[in-house]
Amino acid sequence: MSSSVLKLTAVNLTKDLRLEWRSRDVFNSMLFFAVLVVVIFSFSFEPTSEEARRIAGGLFWVAFLFSTVVALNQSWARELRNGVLDAYRISPSPPEALFFGKCLGNFVFVTALECLMVPLFVLFYNLSSAGSLWQLLLVLALGTWALVITGTFFAVMSIRTRNRELMLPLLLIPLSIPAVVNMVGATTNILTADSSPVPQIKFLAVYCVVFTTACFLLFETVLNAE
Amino acid sequence: MNSKLYPFFVGLVFVLLSYGTYQGLVAAPPVEELAAGGEAQRIFYYHVPAAIVSYTLFALNFLASLIYLWKRSSAADAFAVATAEVGVVFASVTLALGMIWARYAWGHWWAWDMRLTTFLILWLLYVSYLVLRRAAEAGSSAVMAAALAVIIFLDVPFNYMANRWFRGNHPEPVTLQSPALKYALFANMIAFVAFGAVIVWFRYALERVEQRVAAIHAQRAAQGAFSLALPAMFFFQNSHGNPIHYTYAGYTVAWVIYIGYLVLLTRKVAKLKREEQELRRSADR
Repeated sequence: MSSSVLKLTAVNLTKDLRLEWRSRDVFNSMLFFAVLVVVIFSFSFEPTSEEARRIAGGLFWVAFLFSTVVALNQSWARELRNGVLDAYRISPSPPEALFFGKCLGNFVFVTALECLMVPLFVLFYNLSSAGSLWQLLLVLALGTWALVITGTFFAVMSIRTRNRELMLPLLLIPLSIPAVVNMVGATTNILTADSSPVPQIKFLAVYCVVFTTACFLLFETVLNAE
Repeated sequence: MNSKLYPFFVGLVFVLLSYGTYQGLVAAPPVEELAAGGEAQRIFYYHVPAAIVSYTLFALNFLASLIYLWKRSSAADAFAVATAEVGVVFASVTLALGMIWARYAWGHWWAWDMRLTTFLILWLLYVSYLVLRRAAEAGSSAVMAAALAVIIFLDVPFNYMANRWFRGNHPEPVTLQSPALKYALFANMIAFVAFGAVIVWFRYALERVEQRVAAIHAQRAAQGAFSLALPAMFFFQNSHGNPIHYTYAGYTVAWVIYIGYLVLLTRKVAKLKREEQELRRSADR
């Protein structure tokens, strides 16, 4: 990647972060939505501490999957106003920079959300992990990237369809099932320390590499689809 | 149809399917093993060929999408639509038949078994492909769908890896001990491949006409949303009724799905013809 692409990526990223910092549109709605999901889950299941360890992985990632969808829809919708996306398409700046900047921005938002949500989960479900913390952090990072990279790619597709907001979950959820299965599996294995989470972590790493490459290669085609 | 050969192929497929059905339903000897479902095992002769045809069509969809991304030929796009749509129809048949068989042999409709899970996810993926095609803005639909098809195809191996730890309930094809059984399967396999090819051909030609008419339309109502009017008793009765009833139900469901799809296609043809006439008339004026 040449230095100009990196520079433009940084420009896109700082622009997104600054916009978000000033408005906090995405973050507030995403955070509130995720809190609601956690609360409604704890009403629906009322788990004991032992059960909580087994089901927390699933609840956690489902809450994130839904909140990520909320965030991703808004991240591109912003570019539609005033024809910003069309301006991008005619500008000489490489589309990869735009995509990479968006992915990093979304990754920052979702990670910030996770930093706020994880303590909440621990409080509501009386969680304590039997496994190691650094593995949990690794799973969080890989899982978030897996959702963000495919999600950002599909979000740019779905804003160009008639039923914008509805389209993204329809595309993202079936495709990310294999990743979600492994995120949940790894998280549960770490929390309960029943078996090793390493195979799932490897799976997630490969998944991230493959889809990052594919999305980068196809982004320009999708952005310029006419 | 453009080709004069088409009616001949349709006739051939009809003969092959009749012969295959006769082989599966009557001629093939019953399988004694209880685990295979006794008489309900005959569902197998429809289930496996439909599954293989759908896998083949999904692979062809990937190739057509790659060619479209490379060459941007509208023919490749039409072929991608045809294969994905017909593939989903055959996959639906596979799922429905498998569930009916499972209800008899296992006593429940569904199990989170590796093959069932991965096949269901595969079906979901290609349904999402069709949904995208229907919802995308007219101009960008083909490119976005092709990109999605490539991504979906990349997801397939992950799908299989992710679900490999599910315990397996799905029987291995051990029921093929005798040549008579193999023959019945073989007859159906040929019939289904020919059937799939003819529908894809038809759907492809239709898509080409549609591309030519090139009008933006809200397309048919979502396919796959047909409710099956099976008697409620069938759903709630205890397992181990008469197994041959499960076979009859399975074959019927398969044909309800196929015919339902063909009816949808016929309606599409009628609509296109009407539209073509209107376009001609307005051009004459």
